Amino acid sequence: MALTRTAPDRARGTRARPPGAGRPGWRRRRDAIGLVFALPALALFAAFAIYPMLRVFQLSLYDYNLTSPPVWVGLDNFRFLFGDDRFLASLGASLFYVVITYGPAVLLALVLALGLNNRMRGSAFVRLLYFAPVATSWVAVSVIWRLVLQPEGLLNQTLNTDIPWLTSSTWAKWAIAIAAIWKEVGFFLIIFLAGLQNVPKDLLEAASLDGAGALRRLRYVTLPLLKPITVVVLVMAVIRGFQSFSPQVVLTGGSFGTEVINLFVYKTAFASARMGRASAVAVLMFVLLLMVTFVQLRALRRSA
Amino acid sequence: MSTGAMVVSRKRRPVGKVVVFTLLLAGGLVFASVFVYAALSAVKPADEVLASPMRWLPSQWLWSNFTLPFEQAPFARYYLNSTVVGVSVTLLNVVTCTLAGYSFSKFAYRGRNVLFFVVLATLMVPLEVIYVPLYALVFDLGWVNSFAGLIIPSATSAFGIFLMRQSIDGLPDELLEAARIDGAGELRILRHVVAPMMVSPMAALALFIFMTNWDSHLWPLLVGNDADHQTLPVGLAAMQANNLGSGGLPMMMAAALLALLPTLLLFLVLQRKFVEGITMTAGIK
Repeated sequence: MALTRTAPDRARGTRARPPGAGRPGWRRRRDAIGLVFALPALALFAAFAIYPMLRVFQLSLYDYNLTSPPVWVGLDNFRFLFGDDRFLASLGASLFYVVITYGPAVLLALVLALGLNNRMRGSAFVRLLYFAPVATSWVAVSVIWRLVLQPEGLLNQTLNTDIPWLTSSTWAKWAIAIAAIWKEVGFFLIIFLAGLQNVPKDLLEAASLDGAGALRRLRYVTLPLLKPITVVVLVMAVIRGFQSFSPQVVLTGGSFGTEVINLFVYKTAFASARMGRASAVAVLMFVLLLMVTFVQLRALRRSA
Repeated sequence: MSTGAMVVSRKRRPVGKVVVFTLLLAGGLVFASVFVYAALSAVKPADEVLASPMRWLPSQWLWSNFTLPFEQAPFARYYLNSTVVGVSVTLLNVVTCTLAGYSFSKFAYRGRNVLFFVVLATLMVPLEVIYVPLYALVFDLGWVNSFAGLIIPSATSAFGIFLMRQSIDGLPDELLEAARIDGAGELRILRHVVAPMMVSPMAALALFIFMTNWDSHLWPLLVGNDADHQTLPVGLAAMQANNLGSGGLPMMMAAALLALLPTLLLFLVLQRKFVEGITMTAGIK
């Protein structure tokens, strides 16, 4: 007790010093130590996040193959890309993947969250079933889904169909989306369940006492309160979608119209050794993600 | 106050609830059936895996299929590499993020807020945007196909710093002042006052980082693609692509299940921490 009482006294003493003198020496020394604590992280960020971030913009204006010095080409990389069918197709493949995977995944997660948001003993177990894929690695589940999606695999045998899921331009993008929905639903379910915890119980009870049925409570109380979280979820969904790489690599290798943008960058940079052009794609991807985020955040602000 | 409403809702017959629950359970079992299918396929004789019509159960249970990945592919090596990289990255993140979080929370040096803002801004930039120049840098450092290349670029995280700063913000300054008056240095305070009270957020961070790293595929594929440095995702994808070994589909299922087992078990044991970590990535307290 005695110790904690002296602390504010000392603090008051320091504030009483003339402002010109600034912080006292011991205080400044202590804060300098504080800065030192941040240095390891800051150095890592400077080298492995900020420097590459700046460099990706620079490299997008060069022709560069890693071994010989970069050659300035101005906007040629961008000009090439906008006339390149393969790039445009990969953009289309990514958009398809984002919409067809994350639209259903987010919607399903929301519905499941509304159903599982209770303290019933069974619900905890059911939640586990949906969470489990989130705790597994993309490559491992893609290897498993490769079997599920074989012509004689689990999916066809269950549906009693004969669909060449992984070897047809019609079906491959749907097949990957199905596997990805299975993998991703639990992630958004976790977030929606947390969001539902923040919906005040009193509000729902008050609505219930006023005679509002379950559907009206959902429509006029729960969903409006979930709106901010839904916007965050959609931003995350788009970012996660554009990062997709492993399911395409393992399930199709990018064939049959599944070469998503990230796989296109990878192949451009490391199979064709065109680091400059790959950087230009990365810049476009960054601008796209930034735009999506801002549009969604604005939508949030308008609705709030 | 609210007891009246609770009694009312408890009196209502929960028939609807039972129907909803049954539907949710059925959906969950459909989800889980993929794992069950993989597990049963792993212990089948190879020619039964894609038999038509499909039989769930194997005619004989070949548990020995689980040794195939170790015999026909360097699976133990993949496992060891993933463990070494995962544990190192996790420990480094806990240290660097706790240090930086403490620094951003409890000290008042010039530029602190700007630096913190810059760190947060990097959250907007996924690896996928920067990996080409990042690879060029690691290449110039001579870290391609080395543990340094696999570990050091992932040694800190903006999310982790944010998480630790938020948590340390909750510690009363008086506590630190008291320790200072007792003559403790800043590092001592961090180790003996701050860290012991931050075990819970540190554990959530560790779990989140380890699981993310265990899943990491693209970066290890770039900087650890020789025989000595392949991690599980890289090795597993290579086994799949090259039809490595003659163990066929049961071996691949066994390998995939063995690869996902550690994080699945961690999740089952530490469910709450796992949920906490994911929830915090969405910025929900």
